[in-house]
Amino acid sequence: MSITQETAAHHKNDPAVVCCLTEAGTVISPADLEDPAIFPDLEDSGLLNLPANVLKIGQILGAKLTKTIDALTPITPDVVEGIQAIEEATEAAVEATVDDEGVREAAPVATAAPVAQVGEPSVVAGGMVKIRIEEAKGINLEFPTVVMSGGAPAAAQAEAPAAQPAGAVAAVEAAPAVKVEDKVRRTLNIREFAVKKVELGETTSFENGVLTIRKALCEEALKADPLVKKIEMDFVTPDNKHVYSPTIMDCMPIAAKVEGSLGEGVTHALTGVVVILTGVDESGLQVHEFGSCEGHMDEKIRYGRPGTPDEGDIMIRVMTTIAAGCGMERRGPYAAHKVCDIILQEVREVLKKVPAEQAVNTIEHKDVTRLGRPRVVLVKEIMGQGAMHDNVILPTEPAGVFGGRPNVDLGNVPVVLSPNEVRDGGIHALTCIGPASKENTRHYFREPLVSLMANDEEINLVGVVFVGSPQINDEKNYVCGRVGAIVEALGVDGAIVTTEGFGNNHIDFAGHIEQIGKRGVSVVGVTYSAYQGALVVGNKYMDAMIDLNKDSNGFESEVLGDNTLCPWDAERALRMLKTKMAGEEIKAPGRKWDQSVIEANQKLVDAAK
Amino acid sequence: MKKLYRFLLQQHIGAPDSPVVKTGDRVERGTLIAVPTKLGANIHSSVSGSVVEVNEREIVVEADENQDGSTVAIQADSIIDAVKEAGIVGMGGAGFPTHVKLNTDLQGGVVIANGVECEPLLKHNIKEMEENPALIIRGLKYAMQATKAARGIVAIKAKNTKAIAAVRAAINDASITIAELPDIYPMGEERAIVREVLGKLLACDQLPSAAGAVISNVETLSRICEAVESKKPFVTKNVTVAGKLKSGRESVVFMDVPLGTPIKDLIEAAGGIDGAYGEIIMGGPFTGKSVSLDSVVTKTTGGILVTLPLPNEKRKMGLLVCACGANEERLRELAQKMGAPVVGVERCKQVVDVKNAIKCENPGNCPGQAEKIMKLKKSGAEVVLVSNCSDCTNTVMGVAPKMKLPVYHHTDHVMRTVGHRLVRRLKPTK
Repeated sequence: MSITQETAAHHKNDPAVVCCLTEAGTVISPADLEDPAIFPDLEDSGLLNLPANVLKIGQILGAKLTKTIDALTPITPDVVEGIQAIEEATEAAVEATVDDEGVREAAPVATAAPVAQVGEPSVVAGGMVKIRIEEAKGINLEFPTVVMSGGAPAAAQAEAPAAQPAGAVAAVEAAPAVKVEDKVRRTLNIREFAVKKVELGETTSFENGVLTIRKALCEEALKADPLVKKIEMDFVTPDNKHVYSPTIMDCMPIAAKVEGSLGEGVTHALTGVVVILTGVDESGLQVHEFGSCEGHMDEKIRYGRPGTPDEGDIMIRVMTTIAAGCGMERRGPYAAHKVCDIILQEVREVLKKVPAEQAVNTIEHKDVTRLGRPRVVLVKEIMGQGAMHDNVILPTEPAGVFGGRPNVDLGNVPVVLSPNEVRDGGIHALTCIGPASKENTRHYFREPLVSLMANDEEINLVGVVFVGSPQINDEKNYVCGRVGAIVEALGVDGAIVTTEGFGNNHIDFAGHIEQIGKRGVSVVGVTYSAYQGALVVGNKYMDAMIDLNKDSNGFESEVLGDNTLCPWDAERALRMLKTKMAGEEIKAPGRKWDQSVIEANQKLVDAAK
Repeated sequence: MKKLYRFLLQQHIGAPDSPVVKTGDRVERGTLIAVPTKLGANIHSSVSGSVVEVNEREIVVEADENQDGSTVAIQADSIIDAVKEAGIVGMGGAGFPTHVKLNTDLQGGVVIANGVECEPLLKHNIKEMEENPALIIRGLKYAMQATKAARGIVAIKAKNTKAIAAVRAAINDASITIAELPDIYPMGEERAIVREVLGKLLACDQLPSAAGAVISNVETLSRICEAVESKKPFVTKNVTVAGKLKSGRESVVFMDVPLGTPIKDLIEAAGGIDGAYGEIIMGGPFTGKSVSLDSVVTKTTGGILVTLPLPNEKRKMGLLVCACGANEERLRELAQKMGAPVVGVERCKQVVDVKNAIKCENPGNCPGQAEKIMKLKKSGAEVVLVSNCSDCTNTVMGVAPKMKLPVYHHTDHVMRTVGHRLVRRLKPTK
């Protein structure tokens, strides 16, 4: 591709290669040159071999070609006259740095003064950003993983006590008059009750750690939706997980509202137990036929993820059989979730009445406005293509179904929840294919990034925006535009955008980041990408990305929850955002997915703790 | 047997005309039969006879068996009036109403006669320049007069030496010169001509007037001359017929074909279709459209090409769309006719959307195609179909074969029909 003057200036030290047939006598201009950003791809495709004596772009602009050369021919001294000297000072500086540091991107960049002293120059010294992206589309599609560098807030700041919250990041907000103050908007107490055993019985009860579920419940729940033909319930205990299961449609907590509405007041929750909803249709087709996690439960579940059972959890399995052929229709999966919720509601009613003193633990969540700290928002892209790709927003009961509105019905437009609303089960997920990268209902109940950002005293998390991912590109553009408008209205300094899954949803994921980035807001993207989920689109604002991959081959492994957002990913994401907001530079990713980059970043983050 | 002539109400850029005759009316050659409602141009009958049908698309005239050749004269006082009354539109293919184009004050600018005829196979402009250059030069002078231009330039490809010599001999005015252009497609595109002749690259949404120029096809100029001097309405068109003809593979030129003539008749007159054929293309190989045999000659008909059947291609196909050649719709049509599944579509970097069309930022100067071809390969293409100009196709040929991607050009079936060199690599010039 011919390049612009600006691109040529940026790449003046890169090799000069003509993009097209160029005639002898041509005075070489940027329009004659191929974009160095695609050289690696050209070399991979066997289209380009760069000889040792190839001239640099800075040397040949304005020089005259003495021989007609074909497309993609590197310009060497024998075909050109009038070679220019590259401005000495710049050249020397660049090379000197390379010698000193031994790293390609190590050109000294004037970093933002307020934070320069807290960096870790010996390791990460603000690298030169090599974003090789000119426009909003058509980019380096393969950047698989992402990288943070720049030791933004150094260890001292990260561990700074609450009394001194204005750390490195806060320094960005230079105005001296800013008042630093915490305003608690609402408080949520989750009382946890430990379950030791689950059994079937004549009545539903919870006594002495034994949860008893009424036998006839399944039969009665069938009446709620004629599409559900059969419900079976059993209990899988931690010592016997080698049990076959149809595909898992969700993993959810059992929790009930005791006082107040979602996000405030008191919630009772059971620990040591989760509900697993499975689905198959009458003809034997898995509800997630393409990308199903049917199989043995010890193999097809990654235990201990935010959205999956923990190792010691008892799993209450609600196994539904729905009408043939409706697994890929919206009504089918929804019916399964509905009948499951009816069963759980009877348990919730019992749970509400359990005396508070029996609680083994109480978690206090606060929605806090942290004045004087950078305003940040978390944008979570959730599935919204219909059928099982749906989420019920703000049900009446924590993690329930009834009372909530499916985001598909809301047109997938962004909806803002407070961090507490999320942590009180504000999202009921119709978990879809592929299971490794999708967030279950339990994931939202204990979302690590929401908690990390809500509790971090260096930032002011103003809310969590949920936006559905529609099927059609026009609709994607529509919702991306609304996310941009909300972010603009919120007046934030930074944003983290997460998504679940890969492929189609990456189109709007990239769109959200662009909408936010072009408003001058620092933005970090979080997704599973790796090998199988390599980004299909990109833009220049996607320069700070977190990869959630945990599979050694980089695949969607069809193991439930495998590649979802974990607490350590959340730490990398937030650190990346702080780095970006502080004006520190972030190194460009390599061209291919490389798990060692993720691991190296993790070490940086862990070391700073 | 009496012959039917069909006059389409839309033969120009703008809105369809409104008929001013009704079924049963008697018309002469030159009788005004439709007038513009908005942007448009008058339409006259090209034959004497009677109107047998008027519908929203066309007016059908049954011609008298004997045509005496006389034409009803137009009434006009000025050059612009004559052009307007005669219903002249741009004959290079676009069909923009000429009286609107000439209604400008160039303040000493330049009128360029476009004799580049850059679509391969078309020969009627060259033939006219060779045989009747004086008519063109006089038309050019009227256009210069109407637009207050100080200079006139006739743009011709350097390879057409005979035409250049004839035109040079016909020039009797120091203000008119000849510009010789290289033989690559699309040298005849308006903005390419302005760039080559005047050295100014216009933006995609700029007209030549932004460079102080008006560009008019050579046949348009000769029709202007006829309207001004002989008060003749625009009722005949020069047409090239070529392709799979029983008469051979040489282009056959018909001068002064009455508008509304069925193209079937012209193909017959050129020798008739030789066996099985693929497409009938109206226009040139690069920008022409596939039409049915029932089509008729309009004010913008330049070429009628009969092609070989299209090759069968089962491999997955990637399309590279260029603003100088076929658009995406046309490439998809060809892919479908070849039987190939389309797995990816890329647009040349220089394609810009202007109103309802696409235009090239810098016609005929390649911006590089490597990235696009790599993308097509990535989307699964095993073979590519491109619609690029000469220079861009040359770049594609420097890239795709190395990636083991065979290349089709959308003009291939036309070129192969007549044994013309396929659009691939440029011939080395040095």
